[in-house]
Amino acid sequence: MPRPADTIAALATPAGTAALALLRISGPDTSRLAAEIFGATPPPRTARRGDYRARGGALVDDVLCIFFPESGSYTGEDALEISCHGNPFIAQAILEDLFARGCRPAGPGEFTQRAFLNGRMDLSQAEAVMDLIHARSERALAAANHLLRGGLGRRLNDLTERLLVALARIEAYIDFPDEDLPPEDRAIVRQALETIARETDRLLATSHYGELLRDGIKTVIIGAPNAGKSSLLNCLVGHERAIVSPEPGTTRDFIEERMIVGPHCLRLIDTAGLNPAPGAIEQLGMAKSLERAAEADLILLVLEANRPLPALPETLKSIITPTRTLAVVNKIDLLQGRPIGFAMPDDLPAVNVSALTGTGIDDLVLAITRFADSFQPVGKEDAIAINARHADALERARACLRDALEKLASDGPAELLASDLRGTLGAFGEIVGKVDNERMLDHLFSSFCIGK
Amino acid sequence: MVYNKIPFDVIVCGAGHAGVEAALAASRMGASTLLLTGNIDTIAQMSCNPAIGGQAKGQMVREIDALGGEMAINADVTGIQFRLLNESKGQAVQAPRAQCDKKAYQFRLKHTLELQKNLQVFQATVTGLIFQSGKVVGCQTNLEIDFTGLTVVITTGTFLRGLMHIGQNKTEGGRMGDFSAKSLSGSLMEAGIQLERLKTGTPPRLLGRSLDFSKMVEQKGDANPTFFAFHDTRDPEDMFHVEHSCERRIGWAPGSKQVSCWMTHTTEQTAQLVRANLHKSAMYSGEIKGVGPRYCPSIEDKFVRFADKPRHLLFLEPEGRATNEYYVNGLSTSLPFDVQLDLVHSVPGLEDAQILRPAYAVEYDFAHPTQLFPSLESKKVENLFFAGQINGTSGYEEAAAQGLVAGVNAVNKVRATPPMLIQRNEGYIGVLIDDLVTKGTSEPYRMFTSRAEHRLLFNHGSAEFRFLDHSTKYSLLSANRLLNIKSKQSAVLRWVDFLERERTQGGTWAELIRRDRVGAAIPAGLSNETKAIQEEVIYRVSYQGYLVREQKQVEKLSQIEKIRIPHDFNYLSISGLRKESALKLADFKPMTLGQASRISGVNPSDISILMVMIGSGRGGDIV
Repeated sequence: MPRPADTIAALATPAGTAALALLRISGPDTSRLAAEIFGATPPPRTARRGDYRARGGALVDDVLCIFFPESGSYTGEDALEISCHGNPFIAQAILEDLFARGCRPAGPGEFTQRAFLNGRMDLSQAEAVMDLIHARSERALAAANHLLRGGLGRRLNDLTERLLVALARIEAYIDFPDEDLPPEDRAIVRQALETIARETDRLLATSHYGELLRDGIKTVIIGAPNAGKSSLLNCLVGHERAIVSPEPGTTRDFIEERMIVGPHCLRLIDTAGLNPAPGAIEQLGMAKSLERAAEADLILLVLEANRPLPALPETLKSIITPTRTLAVVNKIDLLQGRPIGFAMPDDLPAVNVSALTGTGIDDLVLAITRFADSFQPVGKEDAIAINARHADALERARACLRDALEKLASDGPAELLASDLRGTLGAFGEIVGKVDNERMLDHLFSSFCIGK
Repeated sequence: MVYNKIPFDVIVCGAGHAGVEAALAASRMGASTLLLTGNIDTIAQMSCNPAIGGQAKGQMVREIDALGGEMAINADVTGIQFRLLNESKGQAVQAPRAQCDKKAYQFRLKHTLELQKNLQVFQATVTGLIFQSGKVVGCQTNLEIDFTGLTVVITTGTFLRGLMHIGQNKTEGGRMGDFSAKSLSGSLMEAGIQLERLKTGTPPRLLGRSLDFSKMVEQKGDANPTFFAFHDTRDPEDMFHVEHSCERRIGWAPGSKQVSCWMTHTTEQTAQLVRANLHKSAMYSGEIKGVGPRYCPSIEDKFVRFADKPRHLLFLEPEGRATNEYYVNGLSTSLPFDVQLDLVHSVPGLEDAQILRPAYAVEYDFAHPTQLFPSLESKKVENLFFAGQINGTSGYEEAAAQGLVAGVNAVNKVRATPPMLIQRNEGYIGVLIDDLVTKGTSEPYRMFTSRAEHRLLFNHGSAEFRFLDHSTKYSLLSANRLLNIKSKQSAVLRWVDFLERERTQGGTWAELIRRDRVGAAIPAGLSNETKAIQEEVIYRVSYQGYLVREQKQVEKLSQIEKIRIPHDFNYLSISGLRKESALKLADFKPMTLGQASRISGVNPSDISILMVMIGSGRGGDIV
């Protein structure tokens, strides 16, 4: 048997929140990958603690890893197991990074299959393996069908159809140069591709996976100067775990941190204080804070327990609605038993905390989780449609479309343009099934009169 | 009587474009070969338009040349007009095309066959095959002379129960003026081979002196013609001489004294005539049962399916230097003759045209190509090979390519050497055969570049390199030519490497070529190389990123292409395999896991299971 040329990676534990998640990597590149990620290939069969750093250098999680050389691994190839904290976003972030480094998502039963092919199992075990492969792929197939009957499948099939029409327009002029075709109109192709690219973006953006993983739930901390916004941020981040730190391109006025709360990823943004009588420079900062708050998924309005309610700018009032605002009454340690000296504006849900002592932070985390839960689209198939593999395929489709649009803009060669479109088609096909060239030809022959 | 006591190694039935390549390939490999044809005067006849090449086909003709076939050089020395198609579209999809002198083309090929060592040509119609315990061992002819052979290649084109239609008029025959092979179909069906009907058509032929060319637009050949054969690596003697005989064959210096084609178009009157007489068309009155090609519609089809298109382009193609006959490309029809006359006269320049031969549609039997192995040997009958239109293809080039492969593999079969299997990622011939034997076809199959997923790797200039392993392994080219190809290849690699490494002003040469594309500066040493080397080097450098991407995909896919499935593999005994897949696989008998994966309805989990089972040592090995 030929040895598989590629390296596969997959989550070995069930998806979802748990104490730990286990990722498995197997294939010829394993040793190189381990060295890349952890600085050196770990010694064989020994658990090592290490920082998992993504390709850009950002710390994702501190993990436990074990390297198995091919002589003693389950698959009979070099293999690596990584145990990370059991949050789906961490596991996904690591998986996504592994794919970016050249791994391929493992197919159903593929680790076991490799084990068999490399002589790690005998024939009787193989029979069992086959049942497993079959059962798993049937389940995967059923799951996929379920997804594809939903919005994602419909939309991708529609995009595929439109792409085929565009491709047929290009191919007609390549394959039938001597025919009596109307003058080639690439503007139509460009429009079609732009639409498809936009739709693909939308699919990627609306995806549960894509948006929440890349951006997290945008949480803006807002309040009067010295209300304790930064302390709260530090307290939250210290309490939980921040997974990604500095973001290039972030406006310096804002401090941004990411943190994991339950099954959610939060993007915490600290803003400049809201001053009722601002100077010119502060006014600028405040405008930006308000802008941020307006875009937020969740607003943490920080109030001081020991002071009267500050005068909030008029523009803020329309932004802090109860559906997305949580009042955080800080500094309750300063009350020393006295009641809070103000009524909650607009009946906002409130949590009492002390960023200084940590009192009430657990309640706050719980309240935030409840909010975040409510953002999750419930029962929508799209919510689970775009997993890492889909997102991976869509990203590649998008890259091919970008190349194609560039070629249209610079009047590049048709054969390369067609190659890009076929790349896109192939990527869509990984989700909705391979497209036979006959379907392109059907479009071609029905839209153009070919044949001398 | 039985003609021969010692069986021929290879008997080829039919001397069309597939048959001649099969016979030449087999005899050139040193196998004793018999070529049977119903009519020696119509060897390698171009039954349809007098042209070779064109999009995808032109690349395929170059591939045929790279595998030692005759079509390319035959077209070059009998060509009367040469054009490179898609000059503006990019190198991978550029394709040479030539109008040929129909008679010169035939005569030269006939002469080549006559002078070929190890080859015997005989005129007789094959009426049946002789089988012995599931294998073919020879054939019977209408002259009651039987021939014995170790292998038989069937290349009967449209002649199996050929039926021609002109309106309601029906004539038996595979081509106007020729016979129909009726009993051979029965013999094939007896052996369990399934036959079905296809249809194709051809336009009328007109007398040149009755045409008014002043009303048409002239289409000239290229001033610098592109040829099919690799003249830079071939022996110049190849063109007109045969190695062993020193006899001079017909032909002229390629590209000399080119002639023109002429363009005109249908009119509103043509459209009205077609519409008014549609019920008389054999196609539309239900006379014809066979399926016709989408890409080669009759004029009836064009006006019906594209009703809003007011006119259709027509090309007048000369049939040769020594004839005044013209082929009307674009006017294929099965309307009755009187309507055909009116149709022709409704076209500008053809008002007073005389028809020499009417247009007709022809229905014929074809054998589903899914009944073949990729070697083109029948799965049902051992030692029996099929090539050309009998497999449901259309076109001289598609036929010739299959004929060549079938001829080579018939010899391999006789010698018990492994067959020459051309992969999808090696060239158009690979795509052609894989599509046919894996997917089959429901209309006459024609090659398009869009059928090839690795089209960018198939630029016509690289055919010799792509097939070098095959041509070396099966000794398809002369030792001298193989040397020439190898030194050409190393020059290309050396230059590509040089351009990628050496810097000039503003970056490496390669970067500048990629930036400036056409008109980029190249080093002086490279411009001293042959045009062929220069073009290949520039192609590889300017498309580098894309070629790497394609190559990666090829490597990824080739893993499973290499895993062979044993011939007697018992799919039905495998517990994990879905019943539907098992039945399909048992029926198709794919040769490799790659082929299995392309059979419709076989899903990736089936492939995983097969991989496990084959790996378990129940047969199965690496190609």
